[in-house]
Amino acid sequence: MRRLIALVALLVAFTAQAQSTTQVNDILAHLSTHTQVRADFTQTRENPALAAPQVSHGDLLFVIGHGMLWHTRDPFDDTLVLTSGRTARLTAEGRVERVPDANRGITQVSAMLQGLLAGHADEALRQFDVAADGTLTQWTLRFTPRQARMARVLAGITLRGGEFLDAIEVDLANGERTRIVFANTRDAAPLNPLEAKALGVP
Amino acid sequence: MRRLTTSARAGLFTLAALLVCLLGTWLLFGRDTPALRTDLLAMLPATERNPLAEEAVERLTRASGDRMILLVADRDDEIAKTAAHELGTALGKDPAFASVIAELPPFDPAQLVAPLLPHRFHLLTPTDRAALAAPGFDASAVLRRQLNEPFGVNVGPSLADDPFGWLRHWFDRQPWSQGTLIPEDDLLTAHRDDGSYVMVIATLAGSSYDDGVQRRALAALGRAEDAMHAAHPNARLLRTGAVFYAAAARAGAERDTHVVGIASTVGIALLLLFAFRSPRPLFIAFLSTALGVVGAVVTTILVFGQLHLLTLVFGAALLGEAVDYSIQYLCARANAGNHWQPEDGVRQVRPALMLALATSLLGYALLALLPFPALRQMAVFAIASMCVACASVFWLLPALARAPARAPISAPLVHAARAWQRLASGRRAVVVVGLLVIAAVPGWLRLGHDDDIHLLISPPPSLDAQTAIIRDIAGMGGGSQFWLVEGADAEETLRHEEALTDRLDREHIGWTGMTAMLPSQKRQADNLALLCASQGSTGSPPATGDCGERMRSAMLAAGFKPEAADAYAHAFPGTPLTLADWQAMPAYTPFRYLWLERASIVVPRGQDDVATLKAMADGLPGVSLIDKPASISALFGQYRGQAVLWLGGALVLVGMALAWRYGIRSAWRVLLPPAAGIALSMGTLGYLGEPLTLFHVMALMLVLGVGANYAVFLREGEPHAAHRPGAAYAGVLLSAVTALLSFGLLALSTMPALRHFGITLLFGIGFTALLAPVSAPDTKTSHA
Repeated sequence: MRRLIALVALLVAFTAQAQSTTQVNDILAHLSTHTQVRADFTQTRENPALAAPQVSHGDLLFVIGHGMLWHTRDPFDDTLVLTSGRTARLTAEGRVERVPDANRGITQVSAMLQGLLAGHADEALRQFDVAADGTLTQWTLRFTPRQARMARVLAGITLRGGEFLDAIEVDLANGERTRIVFANTRDAAPLNPLEAKALGVP
Repeated sequence: MRRLTTSARAGLFTLAALLVCLLGTWLLFGRDTPALRTDLLAMLPATERNPLAEEAVERLTRASGDRMILLVADRDDEIAKTAAHELGTALGKDPAFASVIAELPPFDPAQLVAPLLPHRFHLLTPTDRAALAAPGFDASAVLRRQLNEPFGVNVGPSLADDPFGWLRHWFDRQPWSQGTLIPEDDLLTAHRDDGSYVMVIATLAGSSYDDGVQRRALAALGRAEDAMHAAHPNARLLRTGAVFYAAAARAGAERDTHVVGIASTVGIALLLLFAFRSPRPLFIAFLSTALGVVGAVVTTILVFGQLHLLTLVFGAALLGEAVDYSIQYLCARANAGNHWQPEDGVRQVRPALMLALATSLLGYALLALLPFPALRQMAVFAIASMCVACASVFWLLPALARAPARAPISAPLVHAARAWQRLASGRRAVVVVGLLVIAAVPGWLRLGHDDDIHLLISPPPSLDAQTAIIRDIAGMGGGSQFWLVEGADAEETLRHEEALTDRLDREHIGWTGMTAMLPSQKRQADNLALLCASQGSTGSPPATGDCGERMRSAMLAAGFKPEAADAYAHAFPGTPLTLADWQAMPAYTPFRYLWLERASIVVPRGQDDVATLKAMADGLPGVSLIDKPASISALFGQYRGQAVLWLGGALVLVGMALAWRYGIRSAWRVLLPPAAGIALSMGTLGYLGEPLTLFHVMALMLVLGVGANYAVFLREGEPHAAHRPGAAYAGVLLSAVTALLSFGLLALSTMPALRHFGITLLFGIGFTALLAPVSAPDTKTSHA
């Protein structure tokens, strides 16, 4: 009897796991139908060392397979070009300059995000356990680090969305927390020449 | 000595030989230090005038010395990781390894950060230095940017400890952050298009060059690899480490020793049986040679402490020369027939043997003069074995060969020798030799040269390929070029290094060095001043005491809590990082090889164009580029040039020795065969398109030493064998063929240097032996 229960439990766990993986894949596959996306963002950063959350606004351009332009407008004007494995800055003069001493955390998270939005879950699944919730029109994906080593720094990443990605939450192990909310998300019109040049889109 | 009987002398000699054998046994097996050396480095000449540079080369080579660096690769990420985990566990259980790192130890970024916190205001990356020094630096803008970076992911120092990001930048430049491997599932992993690569590092329980350690570790790895292939058929294992190179060199040399040793022994045995048609001469010849080898091994170990494998291979080939002395004695015995008196025989061959020994020793002594450990050892080995073999002929052999020979030298051999001797002597032969030498001239002109280090070190290509892949993926290890930086003290050394690394940064050449971890005290003071100056908003730098205060207000303005701002401001200015601090930090332990007291090593990354690397050191005090392979190649070239001159000098010396014995008018004839042999060999090498190397020239020197023997043997032996025309030359041919057998087999060696040696000796000895009849005086052949 006990064996039977164990077997059933195992089966249930397995199907749950399988279901979750398919759901994750369905959600990501759906997201990846939008190959070029623009959105406005609001980033709120909470840190134990900060008296009040730090808030910034800007807009974002995402192109599958190429990367993203992270344009902060407030409290300062700055455009970062995040492509796979590297961070650059788009200067006011329209030049793309590699950011020396770039933050590796940014590069890594942006690379993971780019993979997910392109529908490739495997890279992220190597690093994280993923829990999916909700439906295709209203979903939540929770990424928890699989390795103790990463868990010491990162508590988890949560993505929420429906048709598009609506919000990203990054929770660090030391209590730092960053929430990014997207608004006015839409399929992007053709890129202007500067954007195309920065992202290397032909 | 003259008073002693033949038996007494032989008895004393046997006693001495037994003692030497006992000593040899103890030297080989009775000591703690292994008697055999497989270390490739040990054979190379010291190329650098600066002993520090030699030490640096050694350090760098050994930095990854006693470790196996393994990568487990598979298309499937999960399998690669499981296989690496299993491999690590299997190796970890084996006593052949001191430690195995597959899974990374628990990691706490705070532990890496904490030791650097007190020094954080003294450490700045070049980029931050430039940014801080630029006009219009705005501390509050930096803070704002830092606080609003996308995703807010902060790895390394916390925001409160490092609000401006300077320490995090510093962190990212530390050498441990430079590899392409990332920790995943507690394994160091790299992802490539063709799958995942997982690293396993196994530290040996001893030296890579220790025979036992090497065998046990390789066997353990072999078992683990087999188990891995059984469980995961598609997983691949890539490896590198000194232990694999040492094992490959050992296997090659052992194979060579066996092939050359066994084949030449068997060949010589068959030849002697054929020539003397009796087993006794065979036994006598081998006893004499074996004593020579034992004497040589003992002498070499006594002189050098250890015997290098390369010497052993060469020694195996030397059998063919050592056996010559006993062959001459045995020929005399065979030719004497029933009139044989052992002591008369000794008297008869003594002048020839002494002269031959003298010319051979001359050749080897020249080799021993080179400041080149490998060649020196070979020369000592050869000199010892020649002397012992020759002594055994004088003192031991008469007792063993009392009875007359049962049969004269094989008739077909004598007939053949006689026929060739008639053909190859006289004025006509001299003319032919002249023509041949002229024909060889175009060959000389075609001779190129090659001084590459691969002559001596030629690891299996598959091992080199694996090393290249691992270097590419893991970013481990540099090439063999690096900069050596020196100074009067630690501080000056670091300043000199900064002059170099600043230039490298400007030229965008990657490097690994001390100053990325520990800047000079001057640089650290500059950093602190720069930090402080940057906090002044109006361009006038604030007093040092105000700096912390200004940082505090900037942080408060940016929205930090007062406690956080206070803590940061209080920590200012902290203390500079010192050499002692650096040495005490466990995270820096793997990089200690970069520091030699008052000198440091800077290793280039991703740039191996020697001209560029050299240009980087131009005009910088205390900085020089060390390029060991190039230095060795240059040295080879230099020796090659000198060796040609020495060859000429040796020719003159041998000529003088011959003139002393035969008179100036006849000496040229005796010298002609070896001299023409050398000329023809060089011509042949040229026609074959073989580039001339140091080792060819060395071999030519031996051709002179050995080749002069033949003319001497013939010249000295002829009067005693007048009743059997051709017998003396048959003896010479016998000597030559045994030499060809053993030296010629070196041409099959895996090591290019030995191969060149062998080929040259093959031609040289062959030509010389064939030309030897020319040395006969004219009168004899006037009617031939």
